[in-house]
Parts: sequence; structure tokens; C-alpha cells
Amino acid sequence: MITLFGMILSYIPGWAIFAQAGVAMLVPLLLAYLYKSLYKLVGSGRGQIGYGARTVPAQGPPPLAPEESSARFTGDLQADLQAVKSGIGNNSDVHFRAFTNAKTGAQGVVIHVDGMQSDRLLSMEVMQYLMHEMPPGPQSSVEMAGHRLPFSELREEEHIRDFNKSVLFGHAALLIDGLRCGLLIEMPGAPSRQADEPVSEALLRGPRLGFTEVLSENTSILRRQGLSDQLEMVSFRAGTAIEREIVVAYMKDIVNPDLLEEIKNRICKIDMDFLAESGYIEQLIEDNYLSPFQQLQNTERPDRVISALLEGRVAILLDGTPFVLIAPVTFSMLLQSPEDYYERWLPGTLLRLMRFGASFFALMAPALYISFISFHPGLIPTELAITIIKTRQGVPFPSLIEVLILEVAIEILREAGIRLPKPIGPAMGIVGGLIIGDAAVQAGIVSPFLVITVAVTAISSFSIPMYSAGITLRMLRFAGMLFASVLGMYGTILFFLLICCHLTKLKSFGVPYLTPLSPFRLSDWKDLFLRAPMALMKRRPKMMKTKQSKRRS
Amino acid sequence: MFIRTDDKITATQTAIFLNNTLLGAGVLTLPRSVSKSVGTPDGWISTLLGGAIVMLVVLLMVKISQQFPGKTVFQYSRLLTGRFIGGILSMLLILYFITIAGFEIRTLAEVTLFFLLEGTPIWAVILPFLWLSTYLVYGGINSIARVYTIVFPISIMILLISFVLSLRMFDIDNLRPVLGKGWSPVFAGLKSTVLVFTGCEVTMTLVAFMDDPKKAVKAMLGGLAILMSIYFLTIIIVIGGISIDSAITSTWPTIDLLRSFEVPGFFFERLEFPFMVIWLMQMFCNFSSFFFQSTLGLSQIFKLKVHPIIYALVPLLFISAMLPKSLGDLFALGDTIGKMGLVLFLLVPVLLSVVWLIRVKGLKQHV
Repeated sequence: MITLFGMILSYIPGWAIFAQAGVAMLVPLLLAYLYKSLYKLVGSGRGQIGYGARTVPAQGPPPLAPEESSARFTGDLQADLQAVKSGIGNNSDVHFRAFTNAKTGAQGVVIHVDGMQSDRLLSMEVMQYLMHEMPPGPQSSVEMAGHRLPFSELREEEHIRDFNKSVLFGHAALLIDGLRCGLLIEMPGAPSRQADEPVSEALLRGPRLGFTEVLSENTSILRRQGLSDQLEMVSFRAGTAIEREIVVAYMKDIVNPDLLEEIKNRICKIDMDFLAESGYIEQLIEDNYLSPFQQLQNTERPDRVISALLEGRVAILLDGTPFVLIAPVTFSMLLQSPEDYYERWLPGTLLRLMRFGASFFALMAPALYISFISFHPGLIPTELAITIIKTRQGVPFPSLIEVLILEVAIEILREAGIRLPKPIGPAMGIVGGLIIGDAAVQAGIVSPFLVITVAVTAISSFSIPMYSAGITLRMLRFAGMLFASVLGMYGTILFFLLICCHLTKLKSFGVPYLTPLSPFRLSDWKDLFLRAPMALMKRRPKMMKTKQSKRRS
Repeated sequence: MFIRTDDKITATQTAIFLNNTLLGAGVLTLPRSVSKSVGTPDGWISTLLGGAIVMLVVLLMVKISQQFPGKTVFQYSRLLTGRFIGGILSMLLILYFITIAGFEIRTLAEVTLFFLLEGTPIWAVILPFLWLSTYLVYGGINSIARVYTIVFPISIMILLISFVLSLRMFDIDNLRPVLGKGWSPVFAGLKSTVLVFTGCEVTMTLVAFMDDPKKAVKAMLGGLAILMSIYFLTIIIVIGGISIDSAITSTWPTIDLLRSFEVPGFFFERLEFPFMVIWLMQMFCNFSSFFFQSTLGLSQIFKLKVHPIIYALVPLLFISAMLPKSLGDLFALGDTIGKMGLVLFLLVPVLLSVVWLIRVKGLKQHV
């Protein structure tokens, strides 16, 4: 009995073990606390769990406005004009042009903003009509005015404040004596650029058309993809200081209604003074803002958007930006290019496989380099190991510092290359990449083999078709290097498992991020690593739970 | 419903879950332990036989679990045998799971320290692993099953490649004679081959998580069949490659086999590296399974929330991993776990089935 007791006693570990056990518990507790408090901190501004609905459907009732802004038009021209002028009359670019109709003698004012309307059109057509051709009749009736004025764009506005907003946004407006509302008669024609080939997503084969900054043009580009009565676009307005229009586009007969409801819900909860770019929406409605992975895809390509809509996804367009968001997104989408589908299936498949390989390199290559060189030179072939170690002989730093020097240098180069004007960019690439790389080797700061590794890594990360996905991998690469520098190969494996764990937990609007890899959906594998021949692409992705699954009739 | 809220896994996921829970340390040590206990090259027959026995055991476990849909063994054992006895049985089971988890993580640390990270303090290996597993277990059974679905095909692929390339060392004479000393050595080997299947008790909780419990038999037996064929291949390839004598003397015979030859023209030359990679991932899966099972059990017995229990278990698992003082202790612990498994088998599924039979068939009472 005593010996048994003694044996058990001898197995009770020393205090060091207990201290380590305490540390073992503290660290995850601390991390979890940090995570939760970070989440709470930012949580209230996010669409998903925010309170109150600040974004309103554009067709819906106008938001409740405070007392003074709910002032309505009275019908007395002079009083109304005064009210409008007191609101926006200080702007030097707002013009008021009073007129009297030749036939009826009715009084009116045309209001417009410089540069938003074609001046010629305005003076020639509109004024001529208003002053000479407008038929006599009871103009005081709102309906009659609506019927008789021959403008395709004609909207009535009862509230002076909304009227002012629309005028400043670029509508030509009309006030007529006796009307209890303001009329908005022309759509704004603000200067915009030509639709162009998207810079961030260039293709060799495929339409050379990208979205522009004007929402109506973007929606029309989408409509012009083909005839369909199922493509539906619902518009919302968001922004407390400056309102902007958001359009949610989807295929009515394909999209899963729950998904659509969820997206609309989140958009309705956006609470922000101004949405400068669709990136704002992305960050305000995403599932997990602490994840390094993007949960909405952004694209400038209409063909990409349309094919996503046909898979049952939803597109979110914002006025003022050519970048359209696609939700939900899965990991494999970030490595797919529309070209995969335009080329025949064999090259498409090969290119796609290559991209998967490249993204693995972009993520892991420096970490593998560090773990092999610093920890396990015995695991690589002996001759190779000898060669590498020979070239590293003069290098004074441990491999982590060595890799960091070159990686940071190349990241800075890349960042600089984006800012530089086009003619200088390539020159800097040559100076930075070739000369500095070569000089660093000559100077003995880094080994030539490392230059190869870093160059391969950089080139691999360029091959990822989504810029934002590339950034994610670039960022994680440094984390991987840290893991590798502490625990070698073991650390690298832990890092890989960590990413796997994170990705399996991540969801984009309820769709697991790694579908169809895991949860395993074999039927969706036709479009994962492989791009199956068109004849096999009979069904829409199962993961989207679409209303109709067949692609063909 | 577009967004799933239920925490259920499919039949495929269940099969992979079971397989990844059990496939681990055995791949490295089975050839040694089985050769030691058999003494003849007939270890592969013992493996098949052991697998068949375990299949029967698992079948029993599935059958009894299917009587209580949506309930794990921790819940239905109390229904069947009462609060007290059920609680004790569940606690035994949890203790068993924690011991296995500690054993797994310690084995992993020993192998890593031996092959990859010589001179590193052992806590530096165990702690990050433990934390990572905590992160995974925190996500519940669904994230665990999904990670397994990623790891599983990679493991199988690399295992098969390693085995195929090891065929150059294969000599059929190493496996002869078949049944040279009759059947008795084969039965003697059973005690080590059944041991590699320890942990199959997770079946009794897994069934509760299946979205279609009717497929449980198929899924579990499928998972076991994959596992059994992997162990079978391991024995055949390793014994055939390095002969039974060196298998007995070597600590990690499978790695020794992979180290013993070079593949010219291949980047790694020796397959030991990719093999270590998948083995580490597999051990991670193993460990996370048992970690998850113990947290689940504790939370269900004491009706507590899962997340605090996860944190509380972390230091416990660490200590249980640090208890063995030497490699010899570790292997002895492995044997003890095997015996514990046997006792638990008699105690839990058999006892529960008997009680269930008595209560339902015998007395016609409502349970």
C-alpha cells in the first residue's frame, strides 16, 4: 500500500509543470477575452448586429424627418421660391430662371445646377416648351401638370428639403405658380468616364468591359448582358450625411429567398454618414471582421457578376464606384478567373490547378525555407542542402531576419510600384528587383537561394486573380514565417492547421467558406480544382441552395 | 433553411471523424508492438482479426446508441442505470478520454522532439498544439468534422504514396511462413492489435450528432474498414520491408522503414518528411477528438456550458501529458489504456445493453 502510494507520489510532477499548466490555461483565456472585447468594441457599428434601420428601400416611405425639414410646398410661387432660396440659394452654381408662359401667363421658375445638365438642351428645348408651347389649362392641379408636361423624367416632390437635395444632385427642377409641389424634370447628366477595360482584372480572352462610377450605367451594363425578365434590382439608400444609392441585384427565380432576405437585412442596418466605396459596405455587413479573409468578393467585371448571379449569388452595386460586391463568397472563388470558362476545359483546369499551387507557395514558401534551412537541413536532399549552406556561409543573420529583409523590401517595392506613374513603374521594378536583389547577394546580406524563394513567392502571389485575396495571403505569409522561425517544420504544420481551423469556422452569409471542400459536396467539385467540360456543368452549385438547380432546360 | 443552425454531421463526416480519431500513434508503433506479441510474421492476420472484433464491438455500441436518438452515452447511461451509476460510468469514460488525449499529445511531443526539434523544451511543443486544438474544439463538432475532411484525403494520399514507394524494400520472404507456428501467436497478437483501435468508444457519442442516425452502422463500419485497411497495409509493408527482427528492436519502425531508402529524382529523396507532416496532422485530429469528447461529457454530466469546460480542461490535459516520466512509461501507459479500454467496453456498452434488454424486453417497463 505504501509503495503504491509512493509510486503515485513520484508521478506527481514538479511545480514547473503546474506553472506551465497555468500558462496553458491563461493564454487561450486571454486570447478569447481579447477576441470578444474586440468584437464588442466594433460590433455596434456593424450591419449584422447593429440596431435600428438607417438604410431605407428607395421606393419605401421617406424617413421621418425633423420639423423644419418636413416643410411642404404651399403653391404660392413667391413663398416657395423664397423657401428654396433660403435653403440652397447661397450656392454660386445654382441658377434660378424665372419665366412667364406666353399663352397663359402662368409664372414659373426653372432651377438647375451648373454642369449637371446640357445647357443647350435646357435652354432650347425645355425653356421653349415652357414659355411658348405649354398648353393653357388648369395648371394648379398636380395631376394635370403631370399629364401635360411632355418630359419622360418627371417626378413630384412635396417636401422642400428633398427637393433641394435633388436639385443639388443635378436634377433640373421646375416650380409653377399654383402647384403644391416641385417638379424634377431632367435626370442629372454629371460628367462620367467611358466604360473601359478593368485595370485590376485584365483578361486575355473575354469582354473588354468594366463597370464605371455611375450606378445607372452599371445597372444598364448588367441588363445589357442579355434578355431576361428574372434579373431583379432593388435599390436602397444609405448614408446619414450624404445619401447614396445601393442596388441589390439577383436572379429572381434562382436565388435562395432566405439568403436574399439576410443580405437585405444587413444592408438595411448600415449606419454610416457616407459610403465612399463598396469596401465600406463590405466591411459593414461581413460576418467576421477579425478574419484576414474577405467574405465578399469585389469585381469590376460584369461577366463575373452575371455568372455569379446565375449561381444563385447576390450582387451589391454602389453608386460612385466601379467595384461590385458579390455575396456569399467561398475560398475557391478567389482563385478562379472568368477566363477558366472561356478557354477550353483542359487549359482552364491546368491554369486553375497552377493557381492553387501558386497560392500555396505564396503562403508557405518563406516559412518552408526558414524551417528547412534553420531547423531541418537533413530533410532536403543532401546535395541541395550542401549547396544552399555553402551560399549562405557569408550571411551574418539567422534565416528569419534574412527572409524578413528581402520580403519587406519586396513588399515596399510592390507598394511603391502601385503609386508610381505608369512609365516609371517598370523601371523601378528593374532597379528594385534586379539591382537590389543582386547587390544584396553580392554584399552577402542574403543568400542567392533566398532570392529565388522570395521571387517565386512574389510572382506566385501575382498570379492570384483577386487582388484582395492576394493581400490576405501576403499578410498571412509573415505569420507563417514567425511560426516557422519558432518551431520549424512543426510550427509550419501548426500554422497550416490553424488556417484550416479558421477557414472551416468562417462563414460568408451562412455558407461555409471552404465549401465544397469541407463540408464535402462532391457534385460541386466539378468547379473546384477542375473546371469540368461545359457539358458536365448541368447543375448550379449545391452550396447555394438555389430555387432551381438545373442550368439547362 | 439557408443558414444551418443545428450542430449535426453527415454520414461521410462521421466515418471520417471516426477514422481520424483512431488513426494516429498506431501507424508508427503497431508493427513493433504486434511483432513483439506475435513473434512470427503473422501480425497482419492479428490485425484483420482485431479489426473484425472491434467492428463487432462498435456495432454493439451503435445499436445501443440508436435506441436513444439525439442522446450521447453520457445522457442515456443515466437514463438506463440511474443518476449515480450512470454518472460514474460517464466519469470513467471521460477519465479514459483524457488519459488517451494526454497519451496522444505526449507521443506526438516525443516523436517531434526526436525527429524534428531536438533540444527544444517539451512544453514548447505541447503548448502551441494544445492551444490550437482548443481553438478548434471551441468551434464545436461541425468545425472539427470539417477540418478532418480536409486532413483526411491528404493523409490517405501521402500514406498510400509512401507505401507504394516503400515497395522497393518489400520482400515477401519477410512475411513467410504464414501461420508457421499455428494460430496461437495470432491470438497472442490480438492484445496489441485491438489496442490500436482504443478510443472507438467515441462511437457512442458520435451517433447522437448524426443528421441521419439510421446510416450510423454503415458510417461507423466504413470508417473502421478504412482504418483497418490502413493498419493492415502498414503491417504488411513494414514487416515485409524491414523484417520482423528489426521491427521489434526499433522504436518507430515505420519511420525507420521510410528512412531506409531514397527515392532519386524526388524533391525530398526520403519520404520520412511528408510522412511526418501527415502524421502530425493526424495526431492533431486524434487529440482534438478526445479533447472534444471529454468536454462534451463533462458539460453533459454537470449540465454546464461547454466553453468554460474547454478552458478548464487545457491545464488538465497538459498535466496528464506530462505525467509519464520516460518513453518506457509512455508505452506502459499505452498498454494500460488498452486494458482500460477492455474494462470500459465490458462496463459501458455491454452493461448498458444488458440493462436495456432487461428494462425493455424483460420487464416491459417504460424507460
